[in-house]
Amino acid sequence: MSITSIRGCIGCGDCVRACPTDVIRLDAKTGKAFIAYVEDCQICHLCRMYCPVDAIIISPEKMIPVVVSWR
Amino acid sequence: MKESNNEGFSRRDFLGIAGVATLATVGLNGEGESTLPSIDPKGFETKEYQSDVLVIGGGVAGVFAATKARDAGADVMLVVKGGLGTSGQTPFAKGVFSFDAKESGVSLDEFTNKVSRSSLGTNNAIYTKQMAEHSKARVEELRSWGFFDQVLCRDPLTHPIKEREIPVMERIMITHLIKEEGKIAGAMGFGIDEQSLYLFRAKSVILCTGAGGFKPNGFPISDLTHDGTVMAYNIGAKVTGKEWNDGHVGSDKNSAASFDNWHGMFEQVPSTTSVEIRHDLGVDLNYQAYKKGPPVMMGPPQQGATFVVGGPFRPVEFSQMHGERRDHPPRGEHRGPPPRDERRGPPPGSNGTNVGGASAGLSIHKSEGLVPINEQCESTIQGLYAAGDALGSYMAGAIYTQIGSSMAGSSVQGAIAGEASAKYAKTIAMPKIPKSKVNKIKEEILAPLYRESGYSPAWVTQTLQGVMIPNFVLYIKKELMMQSALAYVEELQSHHSPMLKASSLHELRLAHETTNMILSAQMKLKASLMRTESRCSHYRVDYPDMDNENWQVWINIYKGKDGTMEFEKQPFGTWAKV
Repeated sequence: MSITSIRGCIGCGDCVRACPTDVIRLDAKTGKAFIAYVEDCQICHLCRMYCPVDAIIISPEKMIPVVVSWR
Repeated sequence: MKESNNEGFSRRDFLGIAGVATLATVGLNGEGESTLPSIDPKGFETKEYQSDVLVIGGGVAGVFAATKARDAGADVMLVVKGGLGTSGQTPFAKGVFSFDAKESGVSLDEFTNKVSRSSLGTNNAIYTKQMAEHSKARVEELRSWGFFDQVLCRDPLTHPIKEREIPVMERIMITHLIKEEGKIAGAMGFGIDEQSLYLFRAKSVILCTGAGGFKPNGFPISDLTHDGTVMAYNIGAKVTGKEWNDGHVGSDKNSAASFDNWHGMFEQVPSTTSVEIRHDLGVDLNYQAYKKGPPVMMGPPQQGATFVVGGPFRPVEFSQMHGERRDHPPRGEHRGPPPRDERRGPPPGSNGTNVGGASAGLSIHKSEGLVPINEQCESTIQGLYAAGDALGSYMAGAIYTQIGSSMAGSSVQGAIAGEASAKYAKTIAMPKIPKSKVNKIKEEILAPLYRESGYSPAWVTQTLQGVMIPNFVLYIKKELMMQSALAYVEELQSHHSPMLKASSLHELRLAHETTNMILSAQMKLKASLMRTESRCSHYRVDYPDMDNENWQVWINIYKGKDGTMEFEKQPFGTWAKV
């Protein structure tokens, strides 16, 4: 499922800045990164490469939510 | 994970507050549920800035534009939708062409002429030569910033900007260019992280916004949605190159995984490339796939490739097919990205085979974008410049010719546009922008947030992809299919685009990107219908031959007086008229 998890985040925000498609955000309360918009992940790995503590796990598989109904 | 206003998890549901627009986003960080603050469309403030030169885009073209404009004495600001050095195609480009006549044994004129022969006359020879002539100097500057010392380019590209104390504003999507009294006057957009609108007054603007596709899966260009082309078209600029198509292949296994499909190339340290002019169509592989069905097989027939008779024309001088082994390795340093033919093999470690369609909707580097009126990267709007993939300079022609020339060309053009723009800015006063215009743009930017009912950008984008990405529409073209696709796209344009709805700043960005992609789809189909011949990366089964009598011309697109899309022919080797 594209970017899969963020564990051990130190809240530096580098991944948020590195993501070209705005998938990751910082939690307003904890200041830690979380996966906000997984469906827009292009699996480019920039977030993982920029993360200073190797907190990000990415899978090559991608599931896009089906939006065939007219939403 | 979910937008909250009409789905399961919302802050409003949890807290029981009946707000106007509840727009918290709920996601997972592996340690529980996370939220983003709600937004209120009425609560936007407008922040105002001004500079002599405004650079839009934070790839290599934008960095050179800002740097050189500053060095030429201008007061500069740089604004980017993503991060500096982490958006567009720059982070993924690993080869930079550095022309050296002595080392390659090829003169500047020989190089230019060979590119013209390979691109069947579609290149603008002045821009081809300019790229080669200045490439080495730009490469040396990149080297001095540490660009060739590390995998990631954020720090090297930030270096010259920091050194010159140029203000950089990240994660701001510019949606509108502003023209006053026939000249560029600034730009406006919104912040992706907080509820702010941004108004930039500027004497000159340089678009370094890249090109675009239809958010294809498997190619790292989902943030490139033709924003620059569309903004410029909307204020009356001429744009070009919409009929050409990049033809990269992807893998049938995990086809959405950009990183895996590029053989781990994203983790390589950049390097330089030397003279090696090719005729990389891409569309010929797609023709094979169309005729035979996937997978796309490469290499000589004895190794299993199936050659298909007919298809896109390839000049004899450049008859080498993808995947053929070269007898001699190219001269000079070549440890960076593998040449495109080698890159096209199946990704190591995956059992996938090649299939077409990875870069859906993307044009050829430097052949799609604003029409230049001179070799200074100036557009048909006074004071508006463009560089790199945002400029339709036809530097490489309508196919990819020289490996690494894309990065070199963006660097060279960025530098030239920066200097020219700074020089222009000295000649005029700071433009005034009427409040009424600002208010109208503000309304247009925020409209998707105000709509209580309408369509999600995700649905409209997927519908657009379904129309535009099949191989019988943009790759193997014929009139009936393009007319049919156009009917769908025009429906999306007239009915769905004005009904796009957003419930977060993330979705507001997607809504504007979707609108831009729809307009570009219309341009691509209409330009492809107009060009009744086949040439380079434009291939029509109903007009399979090159037509030198009628089509030694580029197609320019502009907004007519009554708002309709107009088309004109511009002979190869001439400059556009304003």
